[in-house]
Amino acid sequence: MKGTRSTVFWLMALCVALLLPVQGHAGAPGFDKKEIRIAQWGPQTGPAAPWGSVARGSDLIFKMVNEEGGIHGRKIKYFIRDDQYNPAQTKAVVKELVERRGIFAFVGGVGAACGMAVKDYLAENKVVWVGPSTAINEYVFPVSPYLFGIYPLYDDEASVLAKYVVENLKAQKIGFFYQNDSYGKSGLEGCKKRLATYNMSLVEEISVEPGEKDLSSQMLRLKNSGAEVVFLWVNPTSATIALKTCATIGFKPQWVSSNTLSDFPLMNTITGGLWEGVITGGFGVPPDSDHPLIVKYREAAKKYAPEERCGTFYLAGVLFAEPLIDALQRVGPDLSTEAFLDALNTTKDYQGIGPKITWTPEVHQGTDSIQIQQCGPKGSYILLQDWVQNDLATWK
Amino acid sequence: MIEQLITEGLAIGACYGLFGVAVAIIYKTSDVINFGQGEMGMISTFVTYHILAQYGLPFWLAFVLTMLFAVLLGMFIEFFFMRPAKDPTVLGLIIITLGAEMLLMGLAGWKWGAEQKDFTFPLSVQKVHEPIPGLILNEWSIGVFALTALIMVLLFLFFRYSNLGIAMRATQQNQNAARIMGIKVERVFSFTWGLSSLIGAVAAMFFAARSVLDPNFMMEPFMRAFAAAVLGGLTSIPGVVVGGLLLGLIENFFGYLWPVWKPIVAFVVIIIILTIRPSGLFARHYVKKV
Repeated sequence: MKGTRSTVFWLMALCVALLLPVQGHAGAPGFDKKEIRIAQWGPQTGPAAPWGSVARGSDLIFKMVNEEGGIHGRKIKYFIRDDQYNPAQTKAVVKELVERRGIFAFVGGVGAACGMAVKDYLAENKVVWVGPSTAINEYVFPVSPYLFGIYPLYDDEASVLAKYVVENLKAQKIGFFYQNDSYGKSGLEGCKKRLATYNMSLVEEISVEPGEKDLSSQMLRLKNSGAEVVFLWVNPTSATIALKTCATIGFKPQWVSSNTLSDFPLMNTITGGLWEGVITGGFGVPPDSDHPLIVKYREAAKKYAPEERCGTFYLAGVLFAEPLIDALQRVGPDLSTEAFLDALNTTKDYQGIGPKITWTPEVHQGTDSIQIQQCGPKGSYILLQDWVQNDLATWK
Repeated sequence: MIEQLITEGLAIGACYGLFGVAVAIIYKTSDVINFGQGEMGMISTFVTYHILAQYGLPFWLAFVLTMLFAVLLGMFIEFFFMRPAKDPTVLGLIIITLGAEMLLMGLAGWKWGAEQKDFTFPLSVQKVHEPIPGLILNEWSIGVFALTALIMVLLFLFFRYSNLGIAMRATQQNQNAARIMGIKVERVFSFTWGLSSLIGAVAAMFFAARSVLDPNFMMEPFMRAFAAAVLGGLTSIPGVVVGGLLLGLIENFFGYLWPVWKPIVAFVVIIIILTIRPSGLFARHYVKKV
């Protein structure tokens, strides 16, 4: 009996010891003389794993920076954590990173719900977050002092695309097929606002739940509306089913979609070639372009990550990290969170492989510009229009 | 327009019905709802994809090999997951199928990744035929109708006239009595899981051809097929198929008139019907006597 009691006591003591907070870098400013600790969450496994390449893309540019000697003598120590696109997991991994590793800044971060789960926590802990990998108004309006957005807002993007189809394609009848969430509804709003300036309205607007596998009734309705152009503000699977269904019912509008479906090689493959001709917004220079920076990143990817497909989302990870590196370089050797925030807040017309980015203390949405791209043969990119701003954006 | 709504509704409905049959076969024999059914179909479809992409075999051969794999997979799950359960309750067995579902999904994610893939299927959704003026059918729909009808006829003959089919029905009605009559109940279960897995794999391939192939692609079709099976009556195989066809039609007509309500309208109808007929439209209501 005494032995049992003693075993229970010591086991309990061990449990308590394991539960005690581990002294890591808790409370540390996230850097020292040798390194700056930067992190990103992203789905490396689970249903959203294809977007996990964003976090690995950021790794590429940090490796390039480190090989060139780091930033003012400090190397970047980069942490990726798999949250499986699950906000509860995001919270857990971010807490672990901040409290045990001592993170200076986060970059990217896939998933609106995942980001919202940690937005306030990061601000409370004064951890800077640059370039969330999604566009939601709550990130940037009202301004959060520690959060800097790059991704173009979906209503800005839809507005620019609607202008293009009315003025360049001379479309008169436009339909809108959207996902029934904030992503889809933002796009719908942007498109409607733009059409209102031409005294036009949508001939049809239809929502879809993300998991629906049969879209025949919705597509027949769009066909019946006589739409010449249909906006697709949905996920890749819904877009694929929509295009396949329309091929069956003999409906061939000009499809226009958001940058979330601008990974043309992937979309063209999963639609069995039906993606050719689709017009989308683009938040980065096409991955197959001969832009000097893209060429540089492609070469680096061959060296550091030969197993990766250097596609839109992989390069998005680079794109989100570029202005962060630029600001760190401008800070100089006397690094602090305050100095870093000052540098970010004075970023003006910075351009890497994305649009020009400007941040001020009052506005942390960095851009309203997109490119307009079209899917060419075999998933290639055709640039229809270079960076163009949304002249109707009300937040500037 | 109305003809297309009907044909498209019936085609997707037949696919729900076919997959619902796979669910119903296991339920008929063991009273267990297999929540891993969708993922079993998903894994089998990935096997076809793998054979086509890696070995370049013709589709018919990949299909035959996949069917063999599907039967093996069903029997494997029954043998290694269900059978070892000690003094199992129906609820306990259902939880095991949920575990199998998660395991299979994780396995597919690990092996083939989560990125969506195009599933090459010989029956195209783009090639259409017009057998009667106004009636436009694509090859995919023709395939679904033909295969569902064929499987229905074969299953009817199997359950009505074959010894194994009769043994399966007997096992469902009373396991102990079936044992006393010399039926090897465990073997019946293994066969049931194999047959169900095979039918599920065929239906899953049709779903993949219409959308994309990824580890989650069968989650939503499983829910719809299950709903169709409940609507028609889980113990009546023709009822399950008719339930599927009804579900497809209801969804398409309501989806056309009120698109916003499309995802829920079928389930509302099911709740109403089940309130009136708890066993579904076509199943006989019976109470097991203790």
